[in-house]
Parts: sequence; structure tokens; C-alpha cells
Amino acid sequence: MKILIVEDEAKTGEYLQQGLTEAGFVVDLAKDGIDGLHLAEGQDYDLVILDVMLPGLNGWEVLQGLRARGLRMPAMFLTARDQVEDRVKGLELGADDYLVKPFSFAELLARVRTILRRGRSAQEVTTLKVADLELDLLRRRVSRGGRRVDLTAKEFGLLELLMRRHGEVLPRSLIASQVWDMNFDSDTNVIEVAVRRLRSKIDDGQAVKLIQTVRGMGYVLEVPEDL
Amino acid sequence: MLRRLSLTHRLTAFFTAVAAMVVLGLGWLVFAASDQHFAELDQITLQDKRQLIEHLLAHAHSAEDAQGRLNEALNHHHGLLAAVVTPDGQTLFRSDGFVPLPQTQLLTTSHDMAPVLQVGSPDGRALRALLFKVSAPYSPASPLEVTIEMDTAHHAQFLADLRLRLALYALTATLVSGLLGWLAAHRGLAPLHAMRARAAGVSGQRLSERMPVDQVPVEMAELAGELNRMLGRLQSDFTRLQDFSSDLAHELRTPISNLLTQTQVTLSMPRDAAIYRDILASNAEELQRLARMVSDMLFLAKTERGAQLPRKETFSALHEVEALLEFYEAVAEEKDIRMRVRGEGDILGDPLMFRRAVSNLLSNALRHAPQGGEVHVIIERAGTDIEVTVENTGEDIDSLVLPRLFDRFFRTDPARHRSESDGAGLGLSITKAIVQAHGGKASASSLNGRTRFKLSFPRMA
Repeated sequence: MKILIVEDEAKTGEYLQQGLTEAGFVVDLAKDGIDGLHLAEGQDYDLVILDVMLPGLNGWEVLQGLRARGLRMPAMFLTARDQVEDRVKGLELGADDYLVKPFSFAELLARVRTILRRGRSAQEVTTLKVADLELDLLRRRVSRGGRRVDLTAKEFGLLELLMRRHGEVLPRSLIASQVWDMNFDSDTNVIEVAVRRLRSKIDDGQAVKLIQTVRGMGYVLEVPEDL
Repeated sequence: MLRRLSLTHRLTAFFTAVAAMVVLGLGWLVFAASDQHFAELDQITLQDKRQLIEHLLAHAHSAEDAQGRLNEALNHHHGLLAAVVTPDGQTLFRSDGFVPLPQTQLLTTSHDMAPVLQVGSPDGRALRALLFKVSAPYSPASPLEVTIEMDTAHHAQFLADLRLRLALYALTATLVSGLLGWLAAHRGLAPLHAMRARAAGVSGQRLSERMPVDQVPVEMAELAGELNRMLGRLQSDFTRLQDFSSDLAHELRTPISNLLTQTQVTLSMPRDAAIYRDILASNAEELQRLARMVSDMLFLAKTERGAQLPRKETFSALHEVEALLEFYEAVAEEKDIRMRVRGEGDILGDPLMFRRAVSNLLSNALRHAPQGGEVHVIIERAGTDIEVTVENTGEDIDSLVLPRLFDRFFRTDPARHRSESDGAGLGLSITKAIVQAHGGKASASSLNGRTRFKLSFPRMA
């Protein structure tokens, strides 16, 4: 997966590039809108991440330029200004997402993955499986090592999200938004409690702890590497 | 151009123009009256002489006799000249210095009051003349032609002097009244200057300065009063903003200083990778809190600035509250708190903002309800409003503290500077700002072990 970042703030650009590269993407960085447009024309990117305030061409104009050249890859805006008009403008221009600085990298990564996943047709899976944890979407049943685990509706939703995106660190805000539809900076303590309760049902008494807290980032469901 | 002229200049110019008009009008009146007066005097004199000559000639029995009588009567009159001519052109009498006037200037008439002609003589003297015909008894068939002239030089001189004096007076009077007008305008506008001086003293540091309402004329008192009210509003807004920025600086300083110290201490000597990881994670947590505080502040500033609600729709308050109760379910179960909602109602507004407002109240209620307590949400209609009340059991809050709960960064316990779950102390201010953006009110009460936060939304916001 190739990603183009157009960001004039050098530090932000470099950190984003490093972070996304380490997350397994191929990342190019352009320092201004004109360079960004040239790069995007020459290569085949799966996603462009555009800063709104850019020297030369601003983010909106770069996106318009891309669309005018028939390039239809998804685009994501980063901005320091959180104005409703900006948001509306971004969506009107066909942006796929909109992140307001300061954002956490975990959030950005999760959203990037969400966008890139969107393109692929999700196969109709009926069961999710990670190690000995199984989740049956049709019968709404969860079992660990063959033993049935009883979950509430929201716990089921939370586990489904973690399993669908296993191996990815999911920030609290993304979990709140996906599972509870709370699309604002809500009390993050709630997610902590919810994950703790889910974890006690899934991992208590198990040798392999699947649900892990990544401090300062969020939560991930995966088989620990050091085992 | 006139628009930019100072008020003093404008008033002075106006005053001067009025004074000049009055003085000039008066001067013209005096001059015209004098002129007329002299003309009447001259006419009377001329008519007198006409009667005299007519009388003389009426009693003359021959041409010689008439000549003698005329000589006797007229030769001693200074400034009065006459000529009597027979119809055949012989001069019967002619005063010394008589100026023969061109025929065209003379007007013959039989009327008693023959017109008096103002004429200039060929030698430049000012004259008034009267021409008439009179028949003498000794030759009734042929009337004599009489011309009387009067030298009006001294009258003309007097009038010229008068005109000059009047002009000088008018000029002086205009100048003096202009000066007085300027002084009056200057004095009259002094309160305005005083106000200007006061206004110049107003700055961010000195917003307490006020206009001297009692010392300005009534016309300006209203303006001064309005300015004072404006200053009052600005001062309170400014003070709030100032408190806010200093609060903000204070709230940011502690975590930033912690971050800095922790990072520098870590860097001061080599450590295990695990320790670095730990420190970075802790920094990330702290930074996330800071980021959240900043975005909360921005949200608050934007909402309080009275920005329009991004979108408005009618939504079910019950539906939103139920979603929130699901969200907080896990937290409530942890503390064994029973949560319930009752009532319903539709609200016109932004459902996302509504969620955020109620979310803060629920989070607050769950934090303050004791283990095994209760949290209730009541949605009810009150007049035209929809009221959403979040109630929790727990210790009463001091009534003195209640109104301050919605203040930014306000914490009931000042000693507990930061707790993991307490957020930045902005939650309730955000709730209040959201409700106000919907045109509603937020209030708090605490009685008999139940603390209630009530949000009233006007149904047709």
C-alpha cells in the first residue's frame, strides 16, 4: 500500500512518514502542494494525506487538481483549524476523512486503515477467529478454547471490532466511535472500564492474554509476540 | 469636505456667516433709510422753491418785474440754482453757477409733484433738479420754463462716509462675532474633549475608566451613559477572558513542566529500553490529555462565541440518552450504580452536541454517586421547554459552590488538583455552552442527598 503525505511542517511530515512506514506502508513525503501534485501524477498511490494549509497550492486545491486529472484515490485532510465550513468543504470536495491537529498517531493510523479497508470488498465472514478465541457473527456467540463466554451486546460489539482489526492498535476515541457511536472526545475512562471488563471475561484464567493495552496508544487484540 | 471639518470649525463658520448676514442687512437698512430720507428732504426743498417761484411769477406784472423779484429772492440761496427761460429761448433769470442740463435729462410734466431728477452735472457735481412750466400773468399765453437745481454734494458725501463706516463696522463685527463664536463653540464642546481624554485613557489594563456622565450636558449624557454601559460589558467580558487565559496558562504549565522534567531526567543518563518505553508511554498519556484540553478549549471558545449550530434537526432526547446510558453501562456496573431514564421529548438542535452535553453530566454523576447509588435521567416538558435532568445520589454540594460548578477549570476540591478521571474541569462549562448555543439554560441544585443538573432546551430553538 502506497501513501503520499503532503505536509509542509517538516517534523510532522517526518514523523508521519516514519510512523506509517513502520506500520508497513510505502510512504512518500512532499513539502508543498505543487510537489505533491507532481508525485501523485507520476505514481499510483492508494491514499493521499493532505495538510490543508500548504504553501503554493493549499490542500483543497491539491485535491481538486488530483480529481481534475482523473485521480480518484481516497484523500484525508489534516488541519489545525476546526471549522465546520472546512469540514463541509472537505467533504464536498470528496475527502474521505478529516483530522484536526493535534491528533494522536494511533488515531491517524486507525483511520488510514479504515479508509484503505473500505475499498476492498469485505468477504462475508460469519466467524472471526484469533488463536483459540472464536466469535460467531450469526449466532452472536463467543467461545474461548471451546468454552462459551457470555457477553453483553456492547461487549460483543467491542470484541468484534478488536477481532476484525486484530493486530492493530485501536485508540479509545475510535473504539468509542465505532462501538458506541460517540463521535466526540468523550470520557476515555469509559473505554478503559469496558475493555477491562471484556478482558476479564476473555482472558481471565487463560495463559495467553489476547487483549492488551498499549500504553499511550490504545488497545490491541493479538497473540503476544514474546510467546 | 464639510464632513471632515471639525465641529468647532463648523460652528464657527456657521456663526460667522449668520453674524455677517445680520450686520450687513442692518447696514443696508440704515444706508437705504438715510438715502431715502435725504431724497425726501431734497424734494421738499425743491417743491418749496417751486412754490416760491410760482408765487413770485404770479405777482409779476412785466418781464422786468419778474426778473427783479427773482433776483431778489433767489440770489442769496446758497446751493440752490435756478433758471427761468421764456418760450422763445430768452433767459429771464439764471443763478450764478447754474449748470445747463442736457435736455434729455429733464423731464417735463404738468403734475404738481414733478419728478426730482438725480443728475450729475457735467463738472462732476451731484445735483437734483426740478423742471416745470409756469405761466406769468403778464403773458398768460406763453408759459415760462423753470429749472431748479440743488447741489446735493454734502448729502452724497455724508452717504459715502456712512457707507464706509457701515462697511467697516460690519467687517469688524463679523470678525469679532466669528472669534466669539469660535470661543463659544470651543467652550461648548469642552465636555466632548473631556470625554475624548477619558476614552484615550481606556486600555486593556485600565478598563475601569468611565465617562463623566454628571459633568457633561444633557445632550451628551445619554451618549456617555451608553458608552459606559458598553465599557462595562467589555470589562466583564475582558475580565472573563483574562481569567480564562491565566487559568489556561496555569492548567497547561503544570503538565508541560512535568513532561519536560520527566523527559530531561530520563535523558540525563542511559537507561533500559523498557524504561524508555515506559517514560514515552507516560508522556504520550500526558500529551493526550493536553491535546484533549486544547481541543476542549477550542470547542468551548467556538461554542461560546455564539457560532451557529452546525446543523439542526429534531431528535428524540430519549433515544440519545439511551445511547449514552449504554455507553456508560460498564462504568455504572463497576460501581454497582443503577441508571434509569424516564420521560421523553423531542428537541430541535444538534444531536451530537446534545450527546456531548449530557455525556458530561452523566460522567460527572457517575463519578460523584457512591458505590451502589443511583443515577436518573428525567426528560420532561415544562411549558414550551424540554428539560433534561441528570440526578445522582450522593453527598450534597454546598449551595455556595453550585453556581460556580459551570465555571471553567472549577473543581469542588481545590486540593485534588488532578485525578485521572476528572478531565480538565471543562466538562460542565462545555455542557453549559452547548445548552446556551441551543438557546437554553443549565442549572444545578443539590438537596437531601440528591444532586441535579437540569438542562432546559426551548422546544423551538
